[in-house]
Amino acid sequence: MIKYLLKRLFWMVPLLVGISLVSFLIMHLAPGDITTTEAGFNPKASEESRQKLREIYNLDKPITVQYGLWLKRMATLDFGTSFASHQRPVFWEKTDQQGNVSKGLIQEALPITLLINVLSLTVIIAVALPLGIVSALTQNRPPDRAITLFVFIGFAIPGFWLALVLMYWTGVVNSWLPISGLHSLQYDQMHWLGKIADTLKHLALPVFISSLSGLAGIALFVRNGMLDVLHQDYITTARAKGLPENSVVYRHALRNALLPLITIFGLSIPGLIGGSVIAESIFAIPGMGKLFYDAVLMRDFPVIMGILTIGSALTLLGNLLADLAYAWADPRVRRGVLK
Amino acid sequence: MRSHSTPSVCALLALSLLLNACGQPETSPKTDLDRPYPSEAGGTQIDAMPAEPSGLIAMIAGESAASAVASNLFNSLLKYDKNLELVGELAQSWQISDDQKTITFTLKPDMKWSDGKPLTSADVLFTWKVVTDENTRTPYGADYKLVKQAETPDALTFRVSYEQPYAPALDTWAGLQILPKHLLEGQDINTTAFARKPVGSHYYQLQEWRNGERISLTRNPNATQGQANIERLVSRFIPDAASQFLELLADNIDLMNLNPIQYARIVPARPELQQKLGLYKELGNSYTYMGFNLKHKPFDDIRVRQAINYAIDKQEIIDGVLLGLGEPVASPYKPGTRWSNPALKPYPYDVARALSLLKEAGYQDHDGDGILDRDGKPLSFEILTNQNKQREMAAVLIQRRLKEIGIDASIRVLEWASFVGRYIKTGDFDVVVLGWSLSLDPDQYGIWHSSQQQPGQFNFIGYNNPRVDELLERGRFELDPDKRQTIYHEFASLLLQDSPIVYLFAGYGLPAIHKRIKGIDNPAPPAGIGHNAYEWYIPRPLRRNEIAVE
Repeated sequence: MIKYLLKRLFWMVPLLVGISLVSFLIMHLAPGDITTTEAGFNPKASEESRQKLREIYNLDKPITVQYGLWLKRMATLDFGTSFASHQRPVFWEKTDQQGNVSKGLIQEALPITLLINVLSLTVIIAVALPLGIVSALTQNRPPDRAITLFVFIGFAIPGFWLALVLMYWTGVVNSWLPISGLHSLQYDQMHWLGKIADTLKHLALPVFISSLSGLAGIALFVRNGMLDVLHQDYITTARAKGLPENSVVYRHALRNALLPLITIFGLSIPGLIGGSVIAESIFAIPGMGKLFYDAVLMRDFPVIMGILTIGSALTLLGNLLADLAYAWADPRVRRGVLK
Repeated sequence: MRSHSTPSVCALLALSLLLNACGQPETSPKTDLDRPYPSEAGGTQIDAMPAEPSGLIAMIAGESAASAVASNLFNSLLKYDKNLELVGELAQSWQISDDQKTITFTLKPDMKWSDGKPLTSADVLFTWKVVTDENTRTPYGADYKLVKQAETPDALTFRVSYEQPYAPALDTWAGLQILPKHLLEGQDINTTAFARKPVGSHYYQLQEWRNGERISLTRNPNATQGQANIERLVSRFIPDAASQFLELLADNIDLMNLNPIQYARIVPARPELQQKLGLYKELGNSYTYMGFNLKHKPFDDIRVRQAINYAIDKQEIIDGVLLGLGEPVASPYKPGTRWSNPALKPYPYDVARALSLLKEAGYQDHDGDGILDRDGKPLSFEILTNQNKQREMAAVLIQRRLKEIGIDASIRVLEWASFVGRYIKTGDFDVVVLGWSLSLDPDQYGIWHSSQQQPGQFNFIGYNNPRVDELLERGRFELDPDKRQTIYHEFASLLLQDSPIVYLFAGYGLPAIHKRIKGIDNPAPPAGIGHNAYEWYIPRPLRRNEIAVE
């Protein structure tokens, strides 16, 4: 088992290097660099100053040299600083000689995105599991049809449109929920309970919107898994033994139907750190999606590479965890791994 | 089996309870917004910005979000008044020497930074040194490097000498925000923590900066220009314009710039919005144009350029794209200011003229396919623009008008960095739709002088007219406003005649401001609605009750 783990971990290194090389090359294929921003398109900004900037950031060097420099820094886990004029650290905070702390970009954006994604994943599971089970048990009958219709509408509805409609309805017409942002203006004067309520209020719509589109996948996955299992011989056997229906459904069928979900959750780990640009822009949430999108538009290479590297490392880790969890849950897989 | 649906119902119920329980409807007190109120200090004004500033030292940050906030924190030596004439801000007065090479600024006495330390000419000299320092990563250093010598004979005098007279000099001193020497000396200006906790001298000082969420400013008790009325300014970062508008409707922000549809269609159609929002109109700061690549055939032929200019209906574009909320321009200067030549009129929409010019240039439909051609080659080209709704829409209207006279234009829309990096810098384009600012100083050497055509420079269309070159050079040496005016009026008329670009429109800025904010000049003077923002006030009965920060 340990040997298997070490082998998997070892193979992650060349994979990561390969991924980073490809993303580095693709990123540099796009025309333009940090000096071609819209603000820089100003006759008062001289070409010499832009050239100076390119030299400072080594953008005038051949791409292989640039990649080598980046790899060298990454070897010491140094994600570097952003090319943007604030020059904040990409990943984690740094303290200067005077004791001023400058927070890392990912450090600030990640917790927010993580919170939203964990909340919406929880909502998705809490809603999709029962929906999928009910759907399977009432296959092709009205409840099943209604649920399938509902999750497909949720999947197909354009998130940004629904977001705006809900913002209008809950924020402008009814003033139940705040429209955008993360905290109220008077957040700092609130009691801690009030602070939690305030944050939840601000997160309600973003979480709802992002769960809605994920609902369909999981619910249908559970439904189909359940249907597969319910037609297995051992379920017939269980029923024939005279087991109560509850026991058949939840102990025998559901547990086996949930196995494939492990893979899905493993694969959704990198998704946890990726935010949605559209949702974050609409709700004015300073999360990872907006950070990445702005970095791409600005050609802020250290930030792009930082997020891509962390994302791909998490993807690989997620795959590994999924495999391990699978082995833990399914004796047949376990025997295969141990061999 | 019906009982198994219980968990799902519970989950849904819980979710909807969570959603519902979170909000109690707030009742807004009915107050008369329209009656006059006496001016008084205090209150909070909330606005929205599409992007977060990267820092609050404008010369380093370089983007408009930073300038918007920093202009409330820092002063310059000079400023533009409501009619866009230069007046003193930190400077009480200034003298220009007889040879026009030396400018002496006399500062106002007894000025302080918001931390109480005195603001003197040493700070001005320090700022000049910073902006011209080789290691300062600012794109705006070039203008200040023309200063041969800068000195401070005493604490209230700052003197700069130029190698040659430099006419835009005064404008550049209106654009340089003075930084405090005592806090920045010895620091690396590019990375200093000062950019995130600045100390300035203007009406406001930084109260709080919540990353990704908002910046709050509060009044500076030591302000050099007197006290503003509104106690606290909050700028929230809301990237999406639709969300900003919803926040405005819900009364969570007090002002924003509307787009033409919101301004001309949505607000007028809803009485409850008209009741609480004041709509204003100000001259915009930029114009949109269609520029030809003069190095490409057939745009080297002035007849082709003029023909296309005649074939485009500018009023149609203003009506279609801006719903009429814009003006045609005929020079690159703000209409109504002294630099704008009132004798110049845009090319009228005249199809017959266009066709006869094209015929003169050799373009006719010889093969009968509906497209004009010359020497067997059809007159067809590609219009490039970046992802900007107004420019895209204008391009579509242009495309249709050109098609009517037999010119085949296609449109390509690109993301900004690719657009500039791949096409503008390499000169690999036929026609672009872009914008330039309507600059306050008339000097536009960088855009039109024939020497400015290297990759990365701004005369990328390749405009080259010796007479214009000469005027642009003379205009830089001439400090007398009246003589300058003559120079630039001639320049603008040559430019219009040469038609290297087709002026399309200058859109209005369309601010909507909640009526709780009083003291706004309407109609807006040339400098725009915000020129007297320090005089705006929020009467006590109209303030939001939710924010009790005092």
